Amino acid sequence: MKRLVCSLVLLALAVTGQVRAETLQIEGSTTVGPIADAFAEYFMRTNPGLEITVKKTGSGDGAAALLDSRCDIATMSRFMKDKEFQSAVAKNVFPVAHAIAMDGVCIIVHPSNTVSALTTAQVRDIYAGKIKNWKEIGGPDAEIVIVSRDTSSGTYETFNDKIMNEEKLASNVEYVNSNPQAQARVKTTTGAIGYVGLGFVDADVKALKIDGIAPTKQTISNGTYPVSRPLFMFTNGYPKLGSTVFKFCTFYLTEKGQEIILAKGFVPVTNY
Amino acid sequence: MRPGIRIAIDKIFTVVAGASVVCLCLVLAGVLGPMLWRGGSAVAFKGTVEFRKMQLVLFGRGDEDKIAAESRQAEIARAKIYSTIEKFKGGIDSEALIDKAKQIYRQFGNDLRQTDRTAEEVAELRSVTRQIRDRLESAFASSNAAEVNESLAYVLNFKDDPRFKNTSAAGLIGLAEQYSKDIHGINLAERQRYYQEIRQVEDILTELLGPAPGTATPALMMNRFGATRWDLAQKLLGQLCWYEEWIKQGPGQPMVKRLTPRSQRFAGTEIEGLFIYIQKNLPEMLKPKPTFYWQYFIDDSTPGHYFGGVGPEILGTLLLTILAMLFVVPFGVISAAYLVECASDNLVIRIIRMSINTLAGVPSIVFGLFGLAFFVLFFLPLFGAPSKGCILAASMTLAVLTLPVMIRASEEAIRAVPQTYKEASLALGASRFRTFVKVTLPAALPGILTGVILSLSRVAGETAPVLFTGAVALGPVPKSIFDPTRTLSYGSYDMAVGDKLAAMVPHNQFGMVVTLVLLILCLNTVAIILRSRMFKKLAGH
Repeated sequence: MKRLVCSLVLLALAVTGQVRAETLQIEGSTTVGPIADAFAEYFMRTNPGLEITVKKTGSGDGAAALLDSRCDIATMSRFMKDKEFQSAVAKNVFPVAHAIAMDGVCIIVHPSNTVSALTTAQVRDIYAGKIKNWKEIGGPDAEIVIVSRDTSSGTYETFNDKIMNEEKLASNVEYVNSNPQAQARVKTTTGAIGYVGLGFVDADVKALKIDGIAPTKQTISNGTYPVSRPLFMFTNGYPKLGSTVFKFCTFYLTEKGQEIILAKGFVPVTNY
Repeated sequence: MRPGIRIAIDKIFTVVAGASVVCLCLVLAGVLGPMLWRGGSAVAFKGTVEFRKMQLVLFGRGDEDKIAAESRQAEIARAKIYSTIEKFKGGIDSEALIDKAKQIYRQFGNDLRQTDRTAEEVAELRSVTRQIRDRLESAFASSNAAEVNESLAYVLNFKDDPRFKNTSAAGLIGLAEQYSKDIHGINLAERQRYYQEIRQVEDILTELLGPAPGTATPALMMNRFGATRWDLAQKLLGQLCWYEEWIKQGPGQPMVKRLTPRSQRFAGTEIEGLFIYIQKNLPEMLKPKPTFYWQYFIDDSTPGHYFGGVGPEILGTLLLTILAMLFVVPFGVISAAYLVECASDNLVIRIIRMSINTLAGVPSIVFGLFGLAFFVLFFLPLFGAPSKGCILAASMTLAVLTLPVMIRASEEAIRAVPQTYKEASLALGASRFRTFVKVTLPAALPGILTGVILSLSRVAGETAPVLFTGAVALGPVPKSIFDPTRTLSYGSYDMAVGDKLAAMVPHNQFGMVVTLVLLILCLNTVAIILRSRMFKKLAGH
């Protein structure tokens, strides 16, 4: 036992002395995380010796980590809040936003639902608890099960901002913690309504037209779909030209970068 | 109490006890069984030729020549699909055709500038070709067969026109000839629908067989290979052969799902027979073979755990656990020793005891935030280390988390050592310290090891404390304890909440969870064996 412990400690010390490769630390949103993951895969394959770590805990954590200089790039599915900006500047950190992709928050229902289009006001009334049954808006006679993301997620914030218009959510709303969970809940519940990012819409759920506009790559990137949002990477100041951070933050402009964003179910900003 | 009642109560007790044991076993089997079964499919499954190609590319594993030969065979079987679709698409993809016509026209315009014709000749030729191009485009776009034939006939009039011989404009006429062949047997009115549905078919085929030959290599590894597993391939085959629709019933009623064979959607075209061909020849195209992928436990993975294994996660979890144990065992034992041997029963000690008990009940996320605030932001910079999450900070946080358990277990173990042992030692003239180290501690070790076992399982499985202090979703294999690491617990969480990839590779999700369970089982087994050996030693065997 003693020998094992000693050798472990020695091993730990021995490897500490090694030359360190270039590293890039990314922290933040669970929505943007997959893009960062995929970019990282491409970067690490094309630049051997580069080491990238990605953490996905939430947009707020990303902002906090950038403020503490714990990461090089913060991924965020919303813009920085005033407060975050102010405390950043107070700490001599100057956040610069890079909008790398667009995402649409799609309102989804079970595919058996006959409703296929709603207006913003109708969605608001459903989430505020004013419309309780699908038959009130021309659907089947079934009670509406309302599914929402947790209030700390960027997806919730976008939804709340673009749809709810300061109105409070009804008390019987079910809160789920992630996009996959929201999708799974709607997929298995006949009367459910929920909202997820564009990448999570598949044959198992039906995305509704909002104000007559279906969420597609075109309508999201030109902003006609009402619940669209840009996704960001934040850096401290504009990265030094030619540096790895710079290349990473501008990778979305390249053809490969756009291909990756599309493959991950998001919309490239250069799509208009 | 009458003996009869006593016997009855005894019997009832036996039955209840037996039933609860059976219940426990059933629950265990119900929870662990499916998990183990599905997790096991990450290791033992039917791998396709795509799996072997992926292993070769990612990990350099397997016989290169053999795999190349195998994929050549598969490609021969697949070739028919691609040629059929290519031919079918020739008639329906009007946008691509119009683009082609425009390109040829532009090329011809450029070529004309190079030749030594007069300006009038050039202008005339241009206007004629423009007309040809326009008629051709209307033929491509139209869905009316008579109209199409008329336009095509107009274009084909110029077939033997000497002005176009050996020029790039002849391409336009070639295009028209090809098109009139392609649309033979296609209902033009359905062209738009065909176009959309063949795109769907192509998408599923890409997932099933990998990118079509001749297309560019995708940027991401996950898109470079088809279905690597036979179970996945069959799921995709189902999607390919059956078209899913939701049909309206009546007002106020929900829609119902209807599956129609996809071949019906393409009735009368060459595509119709393709689905049966694929169904029949899928084993030829993918060459499934029983595979035992034990390297799952040592392999790195592609981001999102789409391909590969959980090697770095296992290493990270082990490192964290062992390091945390190194911190917690000495501190725990010393604290316990103080509480038992030195402390008198006064107010301060009572408060300390109460604090320890309270600490045991604090939610783990609180420890995570404490670890971030204390170890990462304060403690590490104090020693000049960068203020970043790392294995050291995470394992110290885990040590703090499990300290109460350790102290309580050690306390009980030390207390349980018979007073006579200590008295014998003291009577021989040993100091109190020597008595503790040489007599009490060895006698209490098995009990302390119980504490270690309890803490081990907790430490290895905790997610919240490492979330902010040293775990990452994606990162290199740690080189030192000042690097962050991937762990099994955080990896499972990340797969559950993050990406849509997890839904596409459920076996990897289960695989990771099962690996965690097995790892804890192994660590516990080691500790239990160690403990029983110590017991034997103490008993004097």
